[in-house]
Amino acid sequence: MHPNLSFEQAPPIGVPYRFFLTAPWFGVAAGLLLAVFGGEMLASRWTPGTLAATHLLVAGFMLQAMCGALMQFVPVAAGGNIWRPTWVAGAVHPLLIVAVSLLVAAFLSMHPPLFIAAAHVFLVTLAFFGVVVSLALWRTPARGATIMALRIALLGLLVTMGLGVTLATGLARGSDLPLLTLTDVHVGWGLGGWALMLLAGVSYFVVPMFQLTPAYPAWLARGLPVMLLLGLLAWSAQLAGLGENLRMGILLFGLAVGSAFAVGTLYLQSRRRRKVSDTTLLFFRTAMLCLLAIFLSGLLFAVRPDFWNDPRAAIWIGMLALVGVFVSAIQGMLYKIMPFLNWLHLQRLCGLNMLPPTMNQMIPERAMRRQYYMHLLGLALLLLAVWQPALARLAGLVFAIDCVWLGLNLLQAVRVYRRFKAELEHKTAAAV
Amino acid sequence: MSGGPVNPTASCVVIDGREMQPPEPLEKALAALDTLPADGELLMLLYCHPNPLFNILRNNGFVWQEDIRDDGTHEIRIRRA
Repeated sequence: MHPNLSFEQAPPIGVPYRFFLTAPWFGVAAGLLLAVFGGEMLASRWTPGTLAATHLLVAGFMLQAMCGALMQFVPVAAGGNIWRPTWVAGAVHPLLIVAVSLLVAAFLSMHPPLFIAAAHVFLVTLAFFGVVVSLALWRTPARGATIMALRIALLGLLVTMGLGVTLATGLARGSDLPLLTLTDVHVGWGLGGWALMLLAGVSYFVVPMFQLTPAYPAWLARGLPVMLLLGLLAWSAQLAGLGENLRMGILLFGLAVGSAFAVGTLYLQSRRRRKVSDTTLLFFRTAMLCLLAIFLSGLLFAVRPDFWNDPRAAIWIGMLALVGVFVSAIQGMLYKIMPFLNWLHLQRLCGLNMLPPTMNQMIPERAMRRQYYMHLLGLALLLLAVWQPALARLAGLVFAIDCVWLGLNLLQAVRVYRRFKAELEHKTAAAV
Repeated sequence: MSGGPVNPTASCVVIDGREMQPPEPLEKALAALDTLPADGELLMLLYCHPNPLFNILRNNGFVWQEDIRDDGTHEIRIRRA
């Protein structure tokens, strides 16, 4: 059975859209960076280009899309009232663009004042965003696994930001802190505590609703956030010192929890009531298969430490996680959410007098499907380029094209929305 | 798919939206309401409580009755007020 939605609480359409429409262009920038730097960028996770491109994806593409999704999802699906959403989005959206731009410039130039500036803007913006959304989530009368996952995800975002600010100031001013270990904890909270937690919480809602699958079983839906949180707390204990075997064991535990979510989602999709494969389903399947591949890679690295010691192993995992799991899942979600929001907002404007364009007219299925194939090609090339650096420039270029195409398809939905709204206003004016 | 028989009458339009992706059931319902005769009835079968549809019905002079079957199907009978 589907959960209920309360669209009366939905924010103005521009609130989520400003985030959604910005996200793809950070992906374009990351792809172009790889196209410029080439194979040297994939030699190690610590090169300036790698750090810059990684943050273009996580704090640019992913964070924009996820903040926009929360601004829409929390009031509509979780029943939480976000304080002045238009004002919050109007402040957070540009500040995040500034923060990411400063951080990327800092990594590329290694100029200390830029790290300090980026850290301050991130701190102010995400602390403000975190408090506003947390208040809405704590005050909502709604209960359930989605709410629990969203609350932990917000905690994950704030911990990630706190660690990131510490790292940035440490890089700028020097620090006695173990920055490499701190980075691993920062990555764990960012990808597991924030991104995967949010993806799971939203999936509990949208996968059954849009992909017509049975609901996630309660033990999985409630168990996953708790297990992931326990894994992250254990992972954070490395700041106090942990043996290498224990560290690898905790990592494998976290990856196993992630793979349980992937297997559960793939199983539910195999039992969906309507056996038509739309593009969102394909994007989601790709994301879940990549999540599974990360766990299998982790197992391989555990039994073959010589592979794990290769600097490219971390790049391989990162590529699977960022482009394979999160960029794929976000692209699929955007293709479902934007036409759906278009339709709902237009329908509210026209009542029964005029029917809004159908979902398929907002972004044609063929356009989304072709872009999905480009995304698959980009992902395959990026994964190959980890081991064949000669492919890096081509992979970067194809990924940039993938994201440009996504951006243009999303703009197409906005054009349809604007055209129909103008037509409606014209008819209303003529009738008066 | 389970659930009891629907028994539509001549003036009853049935939309089984249980295997449709949102907002397809709502799209079909709006098209059907547009041409619903004065004594006609629209029967919708869904797996959810469609708040957006109820707001539209309320604002456009329709009344409805909602029953929930054992299998979770929401049976919604809509008429002109």
